[in-house]
Amino acid sequence: MKNSKSIASDEQIIQDLLPRKFKTSGRIWVSLLIAICLVGIYAYYRQLRYGLAVTNMRDYVSWGIYISNFVFFVAISLVGSLITAVFRLAGVKWGAPLTRIAEMIAVAAIIFASIIIIVDMGSPERFYNLFIYGRIQSPIIWDVIVITTYFFISILLLYYPLLPDIKILLRFKEKSGPGLHKFYSFLGSFWTGSHKQYLLSKKAIYALCVAIIPVAFTIHTVTSWLFATTYRPGWDSTNFGAYFIAGAFLVGAGSVVVAMYIFRTWYHLEKYITPDHFDKMGRVLVLLCLLYLYFNVNEFLTPFFKMKESEAGYLNDMFSGSFAPVFWFAIFTGILLPIIILLFKQGRKPLPMFIVGIMVVVGAWFKRYLIVTPTLLHPFMPMHDVPEMYHHYFPSWEEWAITSGSLAGAMLIITLLCRIFPIVPIQETINEHHETAK
Amino acid sequence: MKLLNKILFGSLSAIFLLSGYDGFSQAPDKGSLSVAINYFNDNNKIPYVLVRVKTKVNGKFKTVPGIPLKLFLNKDSAGLLIGKVVTNESGEATSFIPPSLKKEWSATIKHSFHASFMGNTKYDSTSADLTVGKAKILIDTVGRSVVATVLELKDTSWTPVKGVDVMLAVKRLGADLNINETATFATDSTGKASGDFKRDTIPGDLKGNITLVAKVVDNDQFGNLSIEKTVHWGSKFVSKANDFNERTLFATRAKAPVWLLFIALGIIIAVWTVLILLVQNILRIKKLGQEA
Repeated sequence: MKNSKSIASDEQIIQDLLPRKFKTSGRIWVSLLIAICLVGIYAYYRQLRYGLAVTNMRDYVSWGIYISNFVFFVAISLVGSLITAVFRLAGVKWGAPLTRIAEMIAVAAIIFASIIIIVDMGSPERFYNLFIYGRIQSPIIWDVIVITTYFFISILLLYYPLLPDIKILLRFKEKSGPGLHKFYSFLGSFWTGSHKQYLLSKKAIYALCVAIIPVAFTIHTVTSWLFATTYRPGWDSTNFGAYFIAGAFLVGAGSVVVAMYIFRTWYHLEKYITPDHFDKMGRVLVLLCLLYLYFNVNEFLTPFFKMKESEAGYLNDMFSGSFAPVFWFAIFTGILLPIIILLFKQGRKPLPMFIVGIMVVVGAWFKRYLIVTPTLLHPFMPMHDVPEMYHHYFPSWEEWAITSGSLAGAMLIITLLCRIFPIVPIQETINEHHETAK
Repeated sequence: MKLLNKILFGSLSAIFLLSGYDGFSQAPDKGSLSVAINYFNDNNKIPYVLVRVKTKVNGKFKTVPGIPLKLFLNKDSAGLLIGKVVTNESGEATSFIPPSLKKEWSATIKHSFHASFMGNTKYDSTSADLTVGKAKILIDTVGRSVVATVLELKDTSWTPVKGVDVMLAVKRLGADLNINETATFATDSTGKASGDFKRDTIPGDLKGNITLVAKVVDNDQFGNLSIEKTVHWGSKFVSKANDFNERTLFATRAKAPVWLLFIALGIIIAVWTVLILLVQNILRIKKLGQEA
């Protein structure tokens, strides 16, 4: 890596990459996230007390913003497998500084995917019924199994590469403080960096990288099957698994770009996360945008061409009806505009990339909303004599608060992980520096 | 000026008071009800009457629930009261002929029924009458033919009736199915109506039993008569093979398909074995560190 040549010494790298205490802006940021989480917790308390009636989900839209959010979290969590595993196995060395960011995002997202599904259940005390009475024939059980497995793999994939860094962190007791030092000791005081330990760790990381890819594909394919195994307009598709995975890689890559820019600016990591990284991530992003565009064309063109009577209501609502503004916003903001911007070299500079990343993530969130809600409003067999309000859906303030709380919670976990652990792997960067020097 | 004010105030008060007085206005028109009586005798057992109450709303008949009616036998007299009934949601009410009227019932060969509604705030009072002759219907089978006989009571003897339309059918769950393409069969001079049974493949119960039914429907002279007979003409009901107890994707958790169990458990065991080994690997790394 060109930029690593300019890094003066190992000590300088360590000093640059050590986790830092929050300054005032950091504290304000954390306080803001906690405040949003608390509002979400209060809304959830109201939901527990008064039941799911506080939401605007009714007989038609029984999966509302919660499930949209769940799909979004599952999608974003796939980035861990893309940046860490796919890049590592494919020998993409420039991705090394981004692996920790990707794994932190993956862990935070998968935690909140699990939480939000319990929120959607209404009665959390019934969660254990999934394990006691769950049918292996049900995609819901597959999802529970795969999410648990993916969470576990993500934790291991975050932990193993951390071991050499923890050894370094233990050297700076006065900087980290006694509490964190104790925590670091618990996590990895046994790491001596011996050749045997290094080999065992390398093998484990390789095995995890191999394991996480099929599990990541499964987690989002199974999530897509939650919809595709249900006979409804817009969901009755054989394309859904691939369509979901393409979208998940896109939003995951977009979220990494956003995080890259924020951490680079906030922690002054310009030497480690360089414009070259943004340029390369831009190329990856444009490829993923094109791939997702292809699947979107596949997903909508053929039903639109046929315009079957049973699906016409749903399609017209999406293309030119009440959901059209959101649909076209998601398509333009989340896919088309990023493609146009990223095709130019100037568009792959850090700031434009940051803006594109936000566009992709926001567009992706609304895209998940569109996957869930319009379909539920247009069932193949409409119900008779239901109140007029059942034919429309707009989340209640409790739903918005819980959803915002979950998003803030995920960001809070990422923020806290960055406070505790190095954002860019220290030992890996030093090793790379030595290799380049040779 | 004061006088003018008083006149004005008085006039306005009078107008105001009179505007609220509705003593001169016409009372709203009450609705009129249409009452119909139907007589039924099923299987020559205790007869009963069914009353239907309707009203016309915007040119269409609509059934009226909650209408109280008194039903009388032969004449409108408290002594011959069949019963007091109230129409249900379908605007219908039924009442069996009570044992207390057995003497009156046996005394004549023709009976008239009288239904009266006393009126309420919404509907005017109304009444209806129906006269029927005593009759009975019999059913028998000759080979694969169904024979129904209609008899009426004349003086003290049962006499065959000619020209009565009889429906010969097989009793099914939702409705009755005619025994062949002919809808009704007219009785001859012996009071008999017969038809060939052409529903050979019709499923019966587990033993192949089906119920034949002969019916006289809404006859002007005799009302509604019906009789049933069970015969062994149906095919034996064999419950269709269902996969309820088999291992399918739609079965209970204990009946998951073996292939699915094999694949799912295989994947779970394979992946989690690797993960457990990787956790064990951490312990090995830890041990190496402690040894060093």
